[in-house]
Amino acid sequence: MNPRIRSGITGGVVGALVTIVTGGLVGYFSGMLAGLIAGLLASQLEHLSDMRQGWRQGLEAGLVAGALVVVGQLIRTLMIEPALGNQWSFGTALQIGASSLVLAAVVSIIFGVVRTLPQPKDTIATYAVLGVLILLYPWIDTLLQMRFMNEVIPVLVFVLMALGLNIVVGYAGLLDLGYAAFFAIGAYTTGMIASPHFGLNTSFWIAIWVAAAVAAIFGIILGAPTLPLRGDYLAIVTLGFGEIVPIAANNLDSLTINILGYTVVENLDLTGGPKGINPISRPWLPGIGEFNPTNQIPWYYLILAIMIFSIFFILRLRNSRLGRAWTAMREDEMAAEAMGINIVRTKLLAFAMGATFSGFAGAFYGAYISAIFPESFRFDVSVMLLCMVILGGLGNITGVILGGLIIQFADRLFLPHLAQLVQSLAQNSNNDVLKEINFASDFRLLMFGLTLVIMMQLRPEGLVPSARRRMELHSDEAQPDVITGNVTIDAEPDEGGRLTV
Amino acid sequence: MATQISTTNVVPRVIPWRTISSIILLIFFVLFLAVPLWNLVMEMVANPQLLMRQLIIGITNGAYIALIALGYTLVYGIIELINFAHGEVYMLGVFFSLTLIGLFGLSSSTPPELLFPLMLLILLVTMTFTALLNVSIERVAYRRLRNAPRLAPLISAIGVSFVLQNVGQLWGFLRFPIFNGVMGSNAVAPKSYPQLISNYNVLSFLGENVRIRLTIRDLVVLAVSFSLLVALYLFIQKTKLGKAMRATAQDRDASALMGIDVNRTISLAFLLGGALAGAAGMLVGMYNGTAVFNMGFTAGLRSFTAAVLGGIGNIVGAMFGGLLIGLISALSDQYLSARWTNAVVFGLLVIILVFRPTGLLGEEGGQKA
Amino acid sequence: MEQEQLILEAKGVTKQFGGLTAVNNIDFSIKAGSITSLIGPNGAGKTTFFNMITGLYKPTHGTITFAGRRIDGLKPDLVTASGIGRTFQNIRLFAHMTALENVLVGQHVRMHAGLFGILMRTRAVREEEERVRARGLELLDYVGLGRKRADELSKNLPYGAQRRLEIARALATDPKMLLLDEPTAGMNPQETDDLTKLIRQIRDSLGITVLLIEHDMKVVMGISEHITVLDRGIKIAEGTADEVRSNEQVIEAYLGKGAAAHGKGGQRPAAA
Repeated sequence: MNPRIRSGITGGVVGALVTIVTGGLVGYFSGMLAGLIAGLLASQLEHLSDMRQGWRQGLEAGLVAGALVVVGQLIRTLMIEPALGNQWSFGTALQIGASSLVLAAVVSIIFGVVRTLPQPKDTIATYAVLGVLILLYPWIDTLLQMRFMNEVIPVLVFVLMALGLNIVVGYAGLLDLGYAAFFAIGAYTTGMIASPHFGLNTSFWIAIWVAAAVAAIFGIILGAPTLPLRGDYLAIVTLGFGEIVPIAANNLDSLTINILGYTVVENLDLTGGPKGINPISRPWLPGIGEFNPTNQIPWYYLILAIMIFSIFFILRLRNSRLGRAWTAMREDEMAAEAMGINIVRTKLLAFAMGATFSGFAGAFYGAYISAIFPESFRFDVSVMLLCMVILGGLGNITGVILGGLIIQFADRLFLPHLAQLVQSLAQNSNNDVLKEINFASDFRLLMFGLTLVIMMQLRPEGLVPSARRRMELHSDEAQPDVITGNVTIDAEPDEGGRLTV
Repeated sequence: MATQISTTNVVPRVIPWRTISSIILLIFFVLFLAVPLWNLVMEMVANPQLLMRQLIIGITNGAYIALIALGYTLVYGIIELINFAHGEVYMLGVFFSLTLIGLFGLSSSTPPELLFPLMLLILLVTMTFTALLNVSIERVAYRRLRNAPRLAPLISAIGVSFVLQNVGQLWGFLRFPIFNGVMGSNAVAPKSYPQLISNYNVLSFLGENVRIRLTIRDLVVLAVSFSLLVALYLFIQKTKLGKAMRATAQDRDASALMGIDVNRTISLAFLLGGALAGAAGMLVGMYNGTAVFNMGFTAGLRSFTAAVLGGIGNIVGAMFGGLLIGLISALSDQYLSARWTNAVVFGLLVIILVFRPTGLLGEEGGQKA
Repeated sequence: MEQEQLILEAKGVTKQFGGLTAVNNIDFSIKAGSITSLIGPNGAGKTTFFNMITGLYKPTHGTITFAGRRIDGLKPDLVTASGIGRTFQNIRLFAHMTALENVLVGQHVRMHAGLFGILMRTRAVREEEERVRARGLELLDYVGLGRKRADELSKNLPYGAQRRLEIARALATDPKMLLLDEPTAGMNPQETDDLTKLIRQIRDSLGITVLLIEHDMKVVMGISEHITVLDRGIKIAEGTADEVRSNEQVIEAYLGKGAAAHGKGGQRPAAA
């Protein structure tokens, strides 16, 4: 199939689904989203260097995408809204539909043109356009009354965590199934010092650094026992720690420590137990005052800033002596050691660095929700993060972000909206069984599980794999051992991807 | 005469990490845990009858943990994969047996001549169901990934575990009349098992003062588990298929060269493991009286620890490991707090894997790097 | 008068794996600046011995001293830090890293970039990266791979190039002694010749002591100043090429009993 049409369909389907499930003025946003996906994908599949041709590429993909969004809009207006008991005029639907078509085409064309620029201008320009869209998003959200902001922010928190996990699993090749523990540690540290819990009330801006440092230390503590372990066992032990931390958090609300019979501490409420720690102080900036739950915008920019900051440093790590040591260790631990790499130090640094970014995420999250509970840090958080990294492509920042966004948006926005939709439809249809089904929670595990199973069968290297990874997983010759693959010679030449970071 | 060349920069320093961490752990233990542990032991000794009851519970739990542990150990021994989904297979066994009980309309008022044969039938059918389920999982999710880097089947296993958990959640929707209401009134809430075996204290004849409880339920669980364990042991040791399994576990390629159908042998391992998990499911359902979709996780964790404790791949090891973990869990539940038991078991798992990964009884089936 | 200096001294080195004794009480020394070969039939214990030098195994008995310091029992990364570089029998390059990256990893042990410097991208770290890159490219040129191929994935390189890359990577660790495990395995005569020249060049211009395990007798006889022969874990002969070639035990070990009696020996080496 023509790559432009394919890209258009991909973008269009996503946009259409968003519209169908959300309705309202979201149509405009869906158009832009569809155009963005279509334009990027088309230029990725078919690299052009002539601006005129790029224009056409964008146009074609964008129109296909836009058309599908219009279809989605029509379905929404003509079939779903009436079933929900709302009346929408055909005219409004057409207006929104036409606008979203235009928007889709425009956005797609922009990307189509920008991507024809010579390297490195095209990468810079692409990121610039994306950057503008990301920065403007809160206004789009308000204008279109999308009300996605509450969920977008946690999405970004989890994507940040996925980037941290990527260091451990993607770069260093250490399968960590208990990564949520560091998130918990970051959040609890913030909770303990930046709140009235112990009477400390430290400023958020200090607490976030302390939380990251504490998380890093725990990264080393929890990583140390795993050093001699290989693949499966490493996974299980990290899983164990991932479970022990929330259990400890849940139970340490009346801690009594006896040293050799002398009571040092009696009935200390360390973590607040099942009720957690609450409230937690919020950040304060001159000009904005204290961040509060009603105004999402400062939080949005804060988490974006933290993410950009983190990506910046993660890139530095990756392209350094340490980053190469991680990759070498992942490829062939024995050879790496023979080349003078201290495996213990390298692994511990991976854990520490990975934990640090999770610590940032935890600190932010604690302040954002202004409370933390042990329930937020269970095993399925760790697995979901792993899912995000794997879906996107191990070791690849762009991929991880993409995979993260897809899974998070599906989990937090798409499914709940879909569930709400089904619920509303069911209410009006008097079907008892349907009424009980709660899509958002009842099929969540199924969705994750199937994603994992299907991905492993069809495309274990992820959606945006680094070239290395694709080769690692599709060579059928030798039996690579564990994650430190040691694959034999292959005659096929290999090309790297373009947008891969 | 030869002289040595002088060196340049590096002075190699060797830090004995293992020794240091062992010493730190020892100090930690002495400072913080020695006294409370002593108090714990005193507490146990003070009330021997309560202790006896806990031991009995521990052994009974240990029996079913051993059954599930065998599933882990058989699979790991033969393809070096931790079948994360195994706990969920057990959980579905609980649900399945419950559904059948509902189908047959069994309850505490059913006459024994009808009850026992039907229960036996249900046991066999449940075991068949879980056995086939386990085999299908292998076929669908793991077989193609046998030569992939170990990350892939592990992730796949986690995925299957999630899918099955969801199936367990949705099982409660089977609220059709023919099932006689066993699924309760709410699809996602835990279900309760009807009281099918009496809780009569066999030791009651010893009089009022002896408050040790050994009930018929305990005996049934012990009897069934024990028979199954012995049966499995004999199968592995004495039959041709069992020998084929042991050979495949030791060296897959050599076994293939000797004419053993490796695929079938692997499926057999899954079949047996699944069957035992199903049996455990029905037993636990009857014993504890509840069925809930996330019971697979806890049971799976404890059973896996048991398998590792006994030496992964080692059949007898899994049995002893199960017993040990059962005892530890029961004691932890009673004398520490049920809230901490999972952490205790996990902690134990970590300690074993770090300090003695081959388990107490040593591994079988060979370790591949 | 030049004093002979021993860069490596192994005394009474033994390695037992359970009931099997792979290496039995070997005394072995290497003069600094020499090219030495370790030969012997398959299973003689050569690679086991190599692995004990480089720290992969710990000797059951005996000591190994390198440049005045005991290295037996040290972990491989510390052995490399002490100045021993190695290549592997079955090429163990970092397959999915580029040629240059492989060499850069080799330089890891001589670099000082630490966590802080990396995160802050201090001037010291930046300059070090540049230096290290430049040296990496030089090394690629030196071994004959060519800096043009610096960004090719190492797994895509032809076999001969991969062998050279492994040598470049080992050289990157700035060794005083280089251990080469069957460096010419699988090469045609022309490639073998080129590699032999390279090895000699490494010793001549860089002053690095070379220890080879080799099966290609032409290479062994042509390049080695000293040869040690192992068979079934014990040293059965050592000396110059001529001495070893005519040693009866050696001939027996390779060709079987009776071959020595029939006067079969090694061939004369071609002109070096």
